[in-house]
Formats: sequence, C-alpha cells, structure tokens
Amino acid sequence: MTDTTQGAAEPVSVSSAWQLAKYGLVGLLFFVLLLAMLGWVTSYSAAGTRSTQAVDYATNTITLALSTEPPQLDSTRATDMVSGMLLGHTMEGLLRYGPDNELVPGMAESWDMDENGGTFHLRNDAYWSNGTPVTAHDFVFAWQTALNPDTASQYAFILFPIKNATGINEGEIEPGELGAKAVDDHTLEIELEQPTAYFLKLLAFPTYYPINEEFYRSTDGGYGAEAHTLIYNGPFKITKWVHDASLRLEKNELYWNRDQTRLDAIDYAYILSDANATLNLFATNKIVYAGLNSENLDRALRNRWHIKQHNDGSVFFLEINHRPDRITSNYNLRRALQLVHNPSELVYKVLKLPGNLPGESIFPVWLNGVEGRFRDEYPGPKYIINEEKAREHLAMAIEELGVDELPPLVLLSGDNPVSNKQSEYYQRLWKEKLGIEVKIDKQIFKLRLEKMTTGEFDIVAAGWGPDYHDVMTFGDLFASWNLNNRGRYANAEVDRHVAIAQSSSDPVERMEAMDRVQQLLHDDVAILVQYERGSVYVSDDRVKGVTRRAVGLDPDYTRAYIASDSED
Amino acid sequence: MSDLSFKPISLDTDTEERSRPSLSYWQDAWIRLRANKRAFTSLFVIIGMLVFACAGPLVWRIDPDAQDLDQTSKPPWGDRNALVQTYEPWEGVVSEEPQGDNLAPQSLELVGDATTTNVRLVWGPVPNSKGYRIFRQIIEPRPGDPLGLPIGETKGSTSVSFEDRLDIKPKSYWYSVVAINEEGEDFSEAATVKVDVAFSTTAANAVERGYIKDQNSVSVGDTIRVPLHPLGTDYLGRDMLARLMEGARISLFIGIVAPFLFVIAGVIYGSIAGFLGRNIDHILMRFADFVIALPFLLFMILFKLLFGIGPGESGILPMLVALVLLSWPGAARLVRGEILQIREEGYVEASRLLGTKTPRLILRHMIPNTMGVVLVTFTFAVPSAIFTEAFLSFIGMGVTAPTASWGSMCNDGIKTMESTPHELIFPALFISVTVLAFNFLGDGLRDALDARMRYGE
Repeated sequence: MTDTTQGAAEPVSVSSAWQLAKYGLVGLLFFVLLLAMLGWVTSYSAAGTRSTQAVDYATNTITLALSTEPPQLDSTRATDMVSGMLLGHTMEGLLRYGPDNELVPGMAESWDMDENGGTFHLRNDAYWSNGTPVTAHDFVFAWQTALNPDTASQYAFILFPIKNATGINEGEIEPGELGAKAVDDHTLEIELEQPTAYFLKLLAFPTYYPINEEFYRSTDGGYGAEAHTLIYNGPFKITKWVHDASLRLEKNELYWNRDQTRLDAIDYAYILSDANATLNLFATNKIVYAGLNSENLDRALRNRWHIKQHNDGSVFFLEINHRPDRITSNYNLRRALQLVHNPSELVYKVLKLPGNLPGESIFPVWLNGVEGRFRDEYPGPKYIINEEKAREHLAMAIEELGVDELPPLVLLSGDNPVSNKQSEYYQRLWKEKLGIEVKIDKQIFKLRLEKMTTGEFDIVAAGWGPDYHDVMTFGDLFASWNLNNRGRYANAEVDRHVAIAQSSSDPVERMEAMDRVQQLLHDDVAILVQYERGSVYVSDDRVKGVTRRAVGLDPDYTRAYIASDSED
Repeated sequence: MSDLSFKPISLDTDTEERSRPSLSYWQDAWIRLRANKRAFTSLFVIIGMLVFACAGPLVWRIDPDAQDLDQTSKPPWGDRNALVQTYEPWEGVVSEEPQGDNLAPQSLELVGDATTTNVRLVWGPVPNSKGYRIFRQIIEPRPGDPLGLPIGETKGSTSVSFEDRLDIKPKSYWYSVVAINEEGEDFSEAATVKVDVAFSTTAANAVERGYIKDQNSVSVGDTIRVPLHPLGTDYLGRDMLARLMEGARISLFIGIVAPFLFVIAGVIYGSIAGFLGRNIDHILMRFADFVIALPFLLFMILFKLLFGIGPGESGILPMLVALVLLSWPGAARLVRGEILQIREEGYVEASRLLGTKTPRLILRHMIPNTMGVVLVTFTFAVPSAIFTEAFLSFIGMGVTAPTASWGSMCNDGIKTMESTPHELIFPALFISVTVLAFNFLGDGLRDALDARMRYGE
C-alpha cells in the first residue's frame, strides 16, 4: 500500500507528463503491432484450410455457413432441421421432391400403389458411396431400426402407417413382422396398417431413408458420428467433418443421377450461430447465403443487397399445459388468455420480420385442401379481442380454482433474442390486461424440450415444421396419443376426427374432419396460434438453381450451379 | 554573580506561533480530497447517481415496464406529435381485367394517410401477371438496384392493393411494386413511390397509455402530444430513462451493499488475525487464501439452487450472498497487514504500558488507523461489484424480465447496436461513468487518507 502511494504523491511536473506521453506512445505502438501480428497469423492459418471466396469458379465450389453443428446424422434418429438438410443432400429415399415440389422417383424407379400397400421397384444403378448396391433390404433394415424401441427414435411415429409398425415400436411385435418386405434385391413390398392417403409423401422424409446393414454393423454403434462412419446414396457425400468447425460436401460420383449434380463441392466452412457474424461473412464475400433478422435488416437495406423472402412452412404457437395439476387446465383461464391474444400485434410490432404471417389456425395457409388451398376452403375461426369478456372469464376462473389471486404463470421459452422479446411482450400483455403475473423460464433448446416432455410449464412457446405435404402433418399434432403433444391435450372428439382423416381416402371427408379439428382446438383453447414463420435472407446471385420449399429439403442445392462470368 | 543577574521570566505561552489551525486527521483528509479536482468531481458524480437512482423515479413517474408498441426503438428526443387515427381492416382493391401492354404497374399511389399504423397502396394492373410483389426500401433505390425488402405479395393480376403494417417508423420509405410472371419471376420494370410516414396512434391506445384522458376529446385527424422520451425507447417501446433509473437502483444496490458487507467482514477477520498473530494468524490467513481460490460463478449458481430460486426469479439475492462470502479475503489481507504493522508502533507500545486493555487497544488505536486503507478498499470494490452485476445480468444470471439492470439493458441493446445505438450507448455510458467515478474517488481517497503524504512534510 505505502509503496504505491509514495510515487503518486509527487506533483505532476512537465517532465513526468512527457514521460507519460512517451510511455503511452510506446504502448500504442506495441498494441498496433500486436494487432497487425494477430491479423497476419489468422489470415495465414485461414488461408491453408478455407477457401477464401464465397464462389470458387476454379474448383466449382460454393461456401456456406451452418447455424449449428448437425446434432444427429443417423437418419433413424435425426429430428432437427440442420441434420435433415444435410441428410437430404447426401441421402435419398424411395422418392424425393423435384424442383417444383412434386414427388419424383428417387431410389425407386417405379411403383404400384393401392389402398392397402404397394410394390416399389428399385433402380439397378443405385449404389452406396462405397460401391455396394442399394437394395430393398437396406430400406427394411432402416425402418426396423428406427422402430426398434431401443433406438428411441422420436420420429418412429412417421413409420406408423406401415403394418405392425406401432406394435414393433411398443415392443409387442417382432421387427420381422413389419409390413415391409424385400421380395428380392430390387423389389420392396409395403403393406399398410390402414388406407393412408398421404403415404407416398412420407417416403421422401429422412426416417424413410435406407441404411446399409453391413456398414451399420461395422461402425459399432458409431453410425453417423463421423464423416467416415456414414455411406451415402444421395447427390453429395460428406468428405470432411471437423466437429463444431466445418463440414464439406463433395459430389457423389456413384449417385445414379450424377449428371444432375452441377456443383463439385459445397463447403460449410463455418459453423456459427451469431447472425451478425454470419452477415459479416456474407458482406466480405466469404459465404453465399445469410439469414437476416429484424436487427440487421437495415444494414442489408442500406447496402442495397438483394433481399429474398421465404416461407419455411412452420407454425408457431403458445402450447398450453392441460395436465390436471396445472391451473391452465382451467377452461375459463385459457379463454381469458385467448380473448386478449393479438397475433397481428406480435407479428407487426414485436417480431417485426417480413414474411411472418399472423397466425389463426394450426393449419398454415399454404396447405392444400380438396382442390385449392385448405384455408381458402375452410377459413376456420378467428381470434377476436375482447378485454371485458376476458376479465369476466378470468373472474370465473379464479372462482373455480378457489384462489384469491392466481399464482404466477410459468412461460417456458427459448433463450434467444426473438424468444426473449416475445416472452417479455406476453409477460406485459397478460399483466396489463388481466393482472396475471408471469415468470419467464428461459432454457436452451435441449432443456426446454426436456421440460416440455415432463410438463414443467404452464405455457410454452413452441413451433412445428411440416414433415410431409399433407394437412395431417399438423392435423395429428394434438391427438391425445401424439408424443409431440407436450401439453397433453386430450379431446376424444379431436382424436375421432384425426382418425377419420387418417384412414379416409375421400378428400372432402378428410378436409372436413380437419376443419372440425381446427374449430375444436380453437373453441377449447388448446393452443394459441402466434404466427406462420417466414424469413428474409440475402444470397449470392451468382449461385442459381437453388430450390426453397416449405416441406422437404430446404434450401436444396442439389441442382444448384454457379452462373458463368458472362451470365453474371 | 548577584541575584540581580537573574530575572524571573514572564509566563509566556506564546512561544511558538501557529502557522495554521490544528486539524484532525479527517479534516485534513477532506481538505486534500477537495484539492483533488478529479476525485472531488467524481464524488459529486456518485452523489448524482445515487440521487438519480433513489429520487429519480419520484420525479420521472413513468412505469419502466410499460410497453408502447407504437413507439418502439424511438431515438432520444423523438417526434412527439402523433396523428390520431382509427384502424379499420381494409378489404383491398380489385381492379378490372388489365388492358394494354405495360410491364410496370401504372399510377402507384397512396390511399389515405401514410402513418405508422398502416400504409395502403394501390396501383394499376399489369397484363399477363400472376400477381405482384411489393418492396420497401429505406434509401432511394437507384435504377438497376434491388428494390429493398420484399414486404408482401398479392395473387392474381387484378388484386392491385397492399396494406403494409410491419414496423413502420415515422420516416421516408420508397415502396416499389413489381408484377410477377408465370414462373414466379419478377417483371423487369417496377413502379416506385416515395412515402413520408407520419407518427400515429389510435384514440383507444392514446387513452390506455394515458396520453389523453378522454377518447371523445379528440377526433380522427387531430394531432396530440405524446409524452417525451428524453433518452428514447427500447425495442418494446419502454422508456429508457425510467429503465435506467430502475437499473441504477439494482446496480448501485449491489455495488454498494455487497462491498460494504464484505469489507466489514474483512476488517473484523483481518484485525483478529493480525492482532493475535503467530499460529492463529497463520491458520486464518490460509483459510482466506482458500476462499480466494473458490470460483465465483460456480458458487453463484450453487446459492441460486440453495435458495430455491426458480427459473424466472431474480438472482440478485444469491449474487449478493456469493459476493459477500467470496470477496472478503482481499479486505482481510490488507487490514491484517496494517494491524501487524501498527501493533509494533511506539504509541501502541506506550498505550499498552500504560495499562490499556486489549479491546480498547484494537478499537481506539488500531482500527481507526486502518480506516484509510479500508475506505480505499471499499471504493475500489464498488466498481468491481457493479461490473460483476452487469456481467451476470448480461449473461442472464442476474435480474429477470421485466426488471432492468444496466447489464441486462446492454445485453438487449447490443443486438440493435447498428440500427438503434442509443439502446446500448446509454446503459453502457452509465456503467462506465459510475465505475470511473468510483475509481477516481478511490484514487483520491488513497492519496488524501495517507497520513505520511501530508503536504509540506
């Protein structure tokens, strides 16, 4: 203590000021030098490992960034969008989606379908990337694996239309009894549990992809964990995967439709979640695609970048916990929340991102109905705001629950800027209009999912993306038996109509059943629909032939190509 | 030598002349602190901050949690004139079948007023189009440039109107409309119109927000004055000044209470160790070393669990406890060192020889002489505690929504740093100024309280 004070006691003289200035100057010089060296080191190390340009004409490669490391590349277990996107580029099911979102032949060359099942004829020129042919057995093996209770696949339910699939998943039937049989190497016979009008549309989904049994066993449980513990039958193959850093796709020369693939490689040179950092990479011509958010939108506008819009097909909603021990199981309380629910305010004033549509029904506007769009044919109920009535329902709820004051509601939400903004908006809305206190429980995705499964919430902000192009991908979400129905909403009437729509092959009957479902969900306040998600992004105009779609592989680079300089 | 040689001297007390009045230790320190302009200014800044935090809300009576979604991310001293409007859903316009061979929509124009509630556009149809795409740009599009943000689409060549409601700010926009062909591609020519948007609110909203008392006192088209937001609003339209005041209370509470408690704990612990000395001192100080090695963040989380702080509840209490329980060894070490030194001083020896008892010895002679060090430790601990709170709230472990603290406000503001910098700059400025002021004050106190550094000695 005393040592330090002695020096400071001297009055600041001119000479010491000089000295200070000199030290400052030296320090500054040193700092600048350090920065320069750091810059040199990073540029040096980056040059060796990464292609420096977004579009590389010489190697016919484009560079992209992944928002997160793919959590699961085993197609029987994958649930997330990043894994699904990578699997879609590297694998192929019996069918796949074409450029105009129509179903086109994939591994299956042709097929005959009727109500009870069908026969699929596999192509003779389909090979895995290690040279072994893709056979009907590969499909049977993959499906049996996904249904095996030990696999614990969250997407097992998507295989349930196949005969005996449900029983196998519950462990009651032997996997060998599955209604999918390899007649010979190139003929696959599928028997259905009951008529399923949308079965063909399911076949392009990752859970329906084949897996080579011999290779799967050779990986000792490490299937899909590394680039070399996977074999590919799609347009691309993963040649390099540095976990949490980068991933590289190269053209699969053994793919049957290899002439269609025009890029030699797609380099996911960056894995980063920060939106601003991603946009910086785009701005410096390091990557060809970057998503925009409401915060960095103005920057893109001021730079006069070409901004594009895409609707990814998902619907976001507040899922309400209907378990009997929760206060939200009270109808009047839910009704009070519904009567102050204002999706357009949320979309236009809080989320502020173009493309988002105020939500009204669990069925998004783009779904097909009998002839046209489902929602054009069956518009469904609308949210009507009535604060006075809301307060009446709240008073009834308080009386029914036998409390003086409602305990705080727990709003479970994600831990990201958009979720935070949204949660704070609802917290204030319910406090101001209804006097309900809200506690916001922010959790990362994995923990949120865990809490959703165990029911530790009153209300959770959730979303659902379509798996296949049929109303049923949203329609069965709130059936009592669906494991993705996290609020445990159970309504026999809803179940009955879902069953009708599942087994009927009459489009009008199916759509009417679905209309009943959206009406019932609204009347009973099963959920509060928030918005249909849209996104805006910037992408390099030199890359052409990229397909965006709401259902299936998105964004689809399988037909992408680099426009030549002259076209540019 | 006779007796006459000696003369009794007169009693003269004025043997030495006092050059300056007698000053106590604290008076002297105060004088020197006042002479230090930097430290003295800092003292006023700190007092100002305290007044801002405590008395501010009494003067600035705006609810820090109140959201005004009509005025989100408003810059400081934004326009206060609001046009009163009603919002009626708009059916849109359907034109007749298009004639002619124009590629660009003709006569793109505005319907009604362009306000922050809505902007309605209508245009002439384009033959052979499947629909129209509407773009919005914040700077004037140059020929050949992208038209800006794709804000919407219409279907069919005869649906020739669009209503924009998406986050419209009171400024100028350039709206462009392009027809879409069969393949979903844009036609080559666009129509563009510049729109100056006026700030508006609905009468019902104005009553709810308290801008006006009675809905009937205004009619559609009137202009009313909305409350001033001197520092602007945040992304949910909450008043920044009110939130900064709320944040100041949290930050300064943690920043002052936590150091106060742990410095007291440190003084007691350190003086016991220093006075008793030898083995006891040894054991006590090794324990202090052990506490220093404990990781703060881990304990913060542990205390959060221990207190049963659930999700969505404030983490301020565990933060306080963790700070106090883990930060005292620094102060204890300093005080122990001082005590060890003072123990050997002559005046302590003298006092002991005169029979002073131990408690009096510690309280009268030792602790007062360590006060300088203690005070300096305290002032230097404050900024670090404020930083800790800001950091923890920044990463989401401190206050929870809707409560604001400077750290959490920085966290919110950093996302919109480029478009609305005021949401980050103000809380960051408050943190910096407060921390700097406490550091300068600590510096000044250190100089002023050190008895060995008196001027002129």
